Amino acid sequence: MANSNLPRRIIKETQRLLSEPAPGISASPSEENMRYFNVMILGPTQSPYEGGVFKLELFLPEEYPMAAPKVRFLTKIYHPNIDKLGRICLDILKDKWSPALQIRTVLLSIQALLSAPNPDDPLSENIAKHWKANEAEAVETAKEWTNLYASGA
Amino acid sequence: MDSDDDMHDANDLDSLDDDYYSGDNGMGSDDGDGFEFDNSDDSDDSTSHHHRQQPSYTVLNEDDIRQRQEEVITRISTVLSIPRVSASILLRHYNWDVTKVHDAWFADEERVRKATGLLESSVVSNQNMKEFNCGICFEAYPRDRMYAAACGHYFCSACWTGYVSTSINDGPGCLMLRCPDPSCGAAVGQDLINLLVSEEDKQKYSRYILRSYVEDNKKTKWCPAPGCDFAVDFVAGSSSFDVSCNCSFSFCWNCTEEAHRPVDCVTVAKWILKNCAESENMNWILANSKPCPKCKRPIEKNQGCMHITCTPPCKFEFCWLCLGAWSDHGERTGGFYACNRYETAKQEGLYDEAEKRREMAKNSLERYTHYYERWATNQSSRLKAVADLQQMQSVHIEKLSDKQCQPETQLKFITEAWLQIIECRRVLKWTYAYGYYLPENEHAKRQFFEYLQGEAESGLERLHQCAEKELQTYLNAEGPSEGFNDFKTKLAGLTSVTRNYFENLVRALENGLSDVDSQGACSKTTSSKNLGGVTKRGGRGKGTTSRTTSTGPSRPQEDSPSWHCEHCTFANARANVTCQMCNRSPSAR
Repeated sequence: MANSNLPRRIIKETQRLLSEPAPGISASPSEENMRYFNVMILGPTQSPYEGGVFKLELFLPEEYPMAAPKVRFLTKIYHPNIDKLGRICLDILKDKWSPALQIRTVLLSIQALLSAPNPDDPLSENIAKHWKANEAEAVETAKEWTNLYASGA
Repeated sequence: MDSDDDMHDANDLDSLDDDYYSGDNGMGSDDGDGFEFDNSDDSDDSTSHHHRQQPSYTVLNEDDIRQRQEEVITRISTVLSIPRVSASILLRHYNWDVTKVHDAWFADEERVRKATGLLESSVVSNQNMKEFNCGICFEAYPRDRMYAAACGHYFCSACWTGYVSTSINDGPGCLMLRCPDPSCGAAVGQDLINLLVSEEDKQKYSRYILRSYVEDNKKTKWCPAPGCDFAVDFVAGSSSFDVSCNCSFSFCWNCTEEAHRPVDCVTVAKWILKNCAESENMNWILANSKPCPKCKRPIEKNQGCMHITCTPPCKFEFCWLCLGAWSDHGERTGGFYACNRYETAKQEGLYDEAEKRREMAKNSLERYTHYYERWATNQSSRLKAVADLQQMQSVHIEKLSDKQCQPETQLKFITEAWLQIIECRRVLKWTYAYGYYLPENEHAKRQFFEYLQGEAESGLERLHQCAEKELQTYLNAEGPSEGFNDFKTKLAGLTSVTRNYFENLVRALENGLSDVDSQGACSKTTSSKNLGGVTKRGGRGKGTTSRTTSTGPSRPQEDSPSWHCEHCTFANARANVTCQMCNRSPSAR
């Protein structure tokens, strides 16, 4: 892939992500395409995802930073704002995007979303329903899924 | 929904002279209608306008719009003592309603400033630094190469340019652009934008401001004709919604469909939707999209949650299931994810409407096709007549003037005839939508309606025939023809009679054929006579002040040069025993 014309901003962001990673988050660019990042987020403590390691992919489109990065969970996760394809319902990835935001802020927001699921703005209707009807049970399922799919194996 | 708009492609604004508007204006339109003329060259028309009511609307060109917009900006800027750019942002936020801006501002200036992002002073204390890091590209730049909105969040000019032009190219949402800093809501005004972007983007932005003035303002709308750049400013509370744009397109201000008297807006919308519903396109839209409950643009939900935010400038947040405002959702509707209102309504069958309509359309396809074909045929005849009129005005009138040695001013009756044909085709077209929705079980009404429609059709055919075929003879003649004056009398008479008939038809249909209600099915003959009789009461405009001005049928009289048919009011020469228009003889008493 053509990495030659990579904007300075992306290079700087990448350097900072590698040199000062945010706690519980790692993001490294792919060797073939510097706009494609392999991301890992640790399940936040005191959330049903605690102990899990979640893989994501992040892609910086041509227009970045004027357009938002594209992010998706690769690891299966039981969460009301994430659908079965791993797509994430998060305002800053859509209409609230601003070029002053960064990869780091996006990933931190996703991490925060794991700590605080928001069934009031659901992407996965069934999971959200479950969450609202019986939160304890839904949290149990989320823990089970974390063990099944995100145990870091 | 552009099935019938193609005609306007042919209507170059300049090619239609003023007679078109003034002539058209006198006929078929309601009393409340008005029109502001800024042209002074139609002096011979002035008498026909002075008795009309106050105009209920004004047609605005781009310069007028800009001028009005500048005026309100100046007013707000002066009264509130704020810069013009800020006044423009405020007005945009309050949909260009000066009163609302005043009320909100004087009630709570701070709140308004916060909501619109009009900060009074910078929120960052960095005024003394010489160099900044741009928060977008992370490069350091000297202060003089960086820009900031009132908030003082500095970004470099290249990043600003990218930010602003991305927003401009995303659509009219750029009018509400805020500082790129996610925590900051400072408004980005036109002054800053003009420092940053290309000439092309500047023009786009300024175009959006102009459009916003027309589109967000409750009092104005664009003329819906394709390629027409006029807007219409409408005075609320006028009796009629019929508006005639300077481009010659007549439309209904209420629903912005083409003028559709005698049919009401709801029926027209049903009919138009129905016409489209047969097409695959509309089926797809019905199946896959819903209109935004606020701005009515169709929205396709291709992913994501039920919480929909319409694209700017609407930005309405609603629930995809019940189409209610998102702010109404919460625990009491059963939670955000299971909209109870939708579930309940679904059980009550409220959402089966669309399904049912399609089902019924299938069952009654044949009946529908009957009406549709006739509706469409009149539509295309009308388009043909519009083209013929243009041809007439640009070529034939001059030719005829030469051949028949008549000044062109004496040939206006031909233009009038064609304008009448165009108007009649329009009315006749809509009577088919009317007929389609006339309940099947009201037999008397249907019968009466079909009779009236049939009469209207044959009357119009006579007029059309005369204006098209008979005129040919005089166009092809070698020199002045003897019968030309008779032809003139005949065509003018036919025009006037047909006009009267159609005006009465429109009125009768608008009244829901109430004659039938009171008198039952046998009212056919009386009613059709009424149609002739009422004519003159509503007479106005120059057309109706002319020939057939008697208030009732009159018998041939020895001392009168002509007699008026009691059936159709046509003015016949004394020598004629039967009416030249409807072929009926005057009844012997």
